[in-house]
Parts: sequence; C-alpha cells; structure tokens
Amino acid sequence: MFGLIWENYRISLSSIFANKSRSILSVLGIVIGVLSVTLMGTMISGLDATFEKSMASFRSNVLFISRMDWFGGDFDWWELRNRPRIKQEYGEKLRIRSQFVEAVAPTSDRGGSIIRKDKQIDTRFFGTTPEYLATNDNTEIASGRFFTEGENRSGTRVVIIGAGIAEALFEDENPLGQHVKLGNHKFRVIGVTGEMGTFMGLFSLDNQAIIPLGTFQRLFSRRGWMSIRVKLNTSNIDEAKEEIRGHMRVIRGLKPTEEDNFAMPHSSTFESQYQAIKLAIGGTGIFITALSLIVGGIGIMNIMFVSVKERTREIGVRKALGATQRMILSQFLMEAIMICFLGGLLGLGIAFGFSKVINQFFPSVMPYGLAMGAIFLSVIIGIVSGLIPSSRAARLDPIEALRYE
Amino acid sequence: MGPSGSGKSTLMNMIGCLDTPTNGTYEFEGELVHEMDDNQLASIRNRKIGFVFQTFNLLPKATALRNVEVPLIYANISRMERLELAKESLTAVGLGDRMHHKPSELSGGQRQRVAIARALVNSPSILLADEPTGNLDSKSGVEIMKIFDELHEKGNTIILVTHEEYIADHADRTIHLFDGKVKEDVRNGKKAEPEAVF
Repeated sequence: MFGLIWENYRISLSSIFANKSRSILSVLGIVIGVLSVTLMGTMISGLDATFEKSMASFRSNVLFISRMDWFGGDFDWWELRNRPRIKQEYGEKLRIRSQFVEAVAPTSDRGGSIIRKDKQIDTRFFGTTPEYLATNDNTEIASGRFFTEGENRSGTRVVIIGAGIAEALFEDENPLGQHVKLGNHKFRVIGVTGEMGTFMGLFSLDNQAIIPLGTFQRLFSRRGWMSIRVKLNTSNIDEAKEEIRGHMRVIRGLKPTEEDNFAMPHSSTFESQYQAIKLAIGGTGIFITALSLIVGGIGIMNIMFVSVKERTREIGVRKALGATQRMILSQFLMEAIMICFLGGLLGLGIAFGFSKVINQFFPSVMPYGLAMGAIFLSVIIGIVSGLIPSSRAARLDPIEALRYE
Repeated sequence: MGPSGSGKSTLMNMIGCLDTPTNGTYEFEGELVHEMDDNQLASIRNRKIGFVFQTFNLLPKATALRNVEVPLIYANISRMERLELAKESLTAVGLGDRMHHKPSELSGGQRQRVAIARALVNSPSILLADEPTGNLDSKSGVEIMKIFDELHEKGNTIILVTHEEYIADHADRTIHLFDGKVKEDVRNGKKAEPEAVF
C-alpha cells in the first residue's frame, strides 16, 4: 500500500513538473486564495497585538467627556459644530455630584513644535491639571517630577516631556532643568515620562509634552478644545456612565426632551469600532479567499480533465498491467492533491514575504495555525476538484483506453 | 491468426480479462470472468497474464527499470524485491545494461524487449502478445521472436496474435479466425527454426 502511495507521489510530481507553466497557471487560484487568507490573518493578528498594546493607555475605567464622539455616527455635522464647549469646571462639578468619580483631569491640546537650540521636533502638547497622573495609569514619571497645583495656578512655564522627545532633543544629556521652546515660549523641563510606545503604530505616545493647564490657557488658547478625563472608582462602566450622563445633562441645563449635546467616549467605543474594522477586513478576506479558491478548484478540475485525457492510453496500459479502479483513482487524486498542496505552499511562501513587508509598517506575525489551515484547505480543494476527473479516469474501459490515440 | 477484423484482438482482450463476452461464458481457472468484479479482474491481469502490445505501450517518462516495476507495484511487492525482480527480468531479455534508459533512448526492438520483461516480471501463466513484431523492422522482429521461442522452451504459455504466416510458424498450435469464427485449428508442432525463415 505504501509502495503504491509513494509511486503515485512520484508520478504526480513528474507530471506536475513536466508541465510547469500549465501547472502554475492552473494553480494560480489556489495560490491567490491561500495568499489572501494568510495575509488577512497576518493583518488581523498584527492589528490585534497592536490594539491590545495601545488599549492599555486607555484604561477601561476612564471615561471622557467631550464635545464629540471619537468616531462619527449618524450625527448632524451642524449640530455637532454648534454644541457648546466643554468647560474645565465640569470636572469639579462632577466630582462633587457623582459618587463614581475618583479623579478628574481636564485636558486641552494642540500641535506644535518643540525646539531646543538647533533641534526641533513636531509634537502634540497638552495642558492638564496635576490630577492627570491619577487618571492615567500608563503615564509614569521616569525622572524628575510632575507639576504642582501652585505651578498650574500661576501659569508657570514648566513642561514634562515624553521619552521620545527627550531622546530626540537631549540624547545622552540630562534634560531636567534645561530649557526648551514651545512655539515662542521658553519652558523649563521638570520631568520625563516613561516609554509608552505607539498607539496602533500611528503616532507615538512618547512624543507628547505635558504642561500645566493654567499655562496652556494663558499662552495658547483659552477657548480651545477641551475634554475631561474622568477616572471611575467602579468597574461598572455602564452604571457610572448613566449616572454621570444625568449630571452632565443637569450641568448643561438640558430639558428632558433635548438630546445630549456632549459625548462620553470610553475605550469600549474603540473596542466596538475595532471589532467592526476587524470584521470588515475578515469578511473581505474570506470573500476574496472563497472566490479565488472556487475559481482555483475549477482550474484544477479542468487541468485534471486534460491530464486524464492526455494519459488515456497510459491508463489503459496501467489497467492491463493490473491496476484496479481504485489505484487509478488514487493516482490522479494524488496528482490533484499534490498540485494544490504545492500551490498552497507557493501562496504561503509569497504571503510570508508579504508579511515581512507588512511587519515594517506595523508589528504583525503570520499565524502558523492559519497557515497550516490554509495548506489543509488546499489539500481539501485538491480532493474535491480532483474527484470527478479521477473517477472518470478510474472508470475508463481498458480496451477503449488502449486504443486511444 | 487471421485478417483484419476477424476478431483476433477481441479474443485476445477476452483471454486477457480486459473484455468480457457479450454472449457465452469464459472461465479462467474455473471461475466465470463475467461475474468477477474490477478488483478480481485487475488481480488476474496483474498476476496471471502478461501483455505485450504492438505499440509497446511503455510509460515514456519512466526508465526501463521503472516500467518493468509497474506490475510489481500493483502487486504490492516491497521495494527491494521489486527492484531485484525487475532487474532479473530485464537481464533475461538481454537489457541488463539498458535498465536506466528511457524508452526514447532505446531502439524499437529494445523497447519491445522492455515490454516483454514487464509482461514476464510477475511470472504470469499466459503471455499475450498482440502483433508484437508489427511495429518492428525484420531484424528486430527476429530478435523478439527468438526471445519468445526461448520463453516457450522454458515452459511459458504464449498466445500470439499475428497475420504474418512466418510468425505463426513459430507456434505449436495455430488457430485461424475469420469474421469472428474459428476457421481452422492446426496443432502442428514446431515447424522451423527462426533462422531458417529469414
């Protein structure tokens, strides 16, 4: 039995490699199918890993109060635009009213350059209050200190810079006590935050600079965008969110019939948005995969019919020499499986190359389980599409087959 | 022997269990062939019958050795034994030094000898040869017939289809067919040495 399988394996390889270009063309659908399914898997695994890492900086018990949601829904743009601003005092009001508030920190941010001597990098800097650290478990002061309430109130020009900025501007020097310019204003560096990496590989969290909100408002903008970070003392986000929403409506002076004119994004918003993106990528990938695999399967079936036709005489000879129907069937089935298997490997090889390229842009790994699955699927396609041509070969009348020219 | 269309090949196919009669019965070693299933037929073809065709019908991409191995593979014989038997068989037809040649690298006579080696490798009860010299020049034809004579002397049963009188002369028994019927059945013993014919 093993001898026969080995023999069939040899026959199939010699047949496939004897018609190289034909084999490659016919297996193209399988190659593309395997390529798309593994690339999709690579993308999703990469997204997952990045997302998990990035989400850590949006602790799930931090709620944001802002004018708009992070992701647009079916909102009327004009309604959004005309919403009243979020005011700094909301934070204090919520702290007094709500039983779920542990810490609040209003933040206001803007983009700009941070300059030291001849070096300059573009960054985002934001003003906040000393309580900010209490609302963000991910920001740690690696060296130096955070600013104080006194510095905040008096509008002192002090800045806490991210690890990325410190490295870019100071390299090996100690940045503490040194001066940098934010826009046209000179600031003293009093602290450096620890490394936090990037958010979804899009922007670096280490390229942020934090200054006192009082200073921010004095120097840059009093009426800028503001949102309030609210750290909750409960893990029951929904309950807390409902309660705070009620307080916000009162603070905003909304009538019961009026809709909310503020938004309360939470990391779960990200999560649901992310799930939707993942589903879209997965859905598209599976659709392309299914389509190319069906086309690929038809291609294999077609080429197998040709192969059987071409080798009709050989089939006759083999039958005369004692091959049973099952032996002939297994020979051609093996050929169909091998061609699909090799096609799958080819697709996988290309996908592996692509995943290396993708990895340059955002961290990703090719999931090996999926790769094995893709190869398994190719083999299944080989069996399914090879079955009809092979059984036709097996049922050939030996005399007819021997006479075939 | 007989002219074209007289039913020689059909009779041959039936003896070789490639075909079953539409009418009547054919018993092979006491068993009715038309009642056998595919596996039984294949097994008989594999173990009891050796085919030699006019057009050789070798597998073009395989070496002589691998061609001869094919029936042994279907007989499920181990690799080492297979190789041994195939080499033995090829040596017996005088191709011991051509084992690794492909059919395209062999002459017509050599190809037919590979085919004979393939037919013999399973030690069949009957060797069926359908116009084995039909595609060969007369010199190669003589060589092939010499091999058949030798095999016959060793005790092999050979059934040979031909429409050439001088080929038929090699046989102990000659059955003449015409329009699907047996016209004549001559048991004449060996008439002539091959050298004498040409």
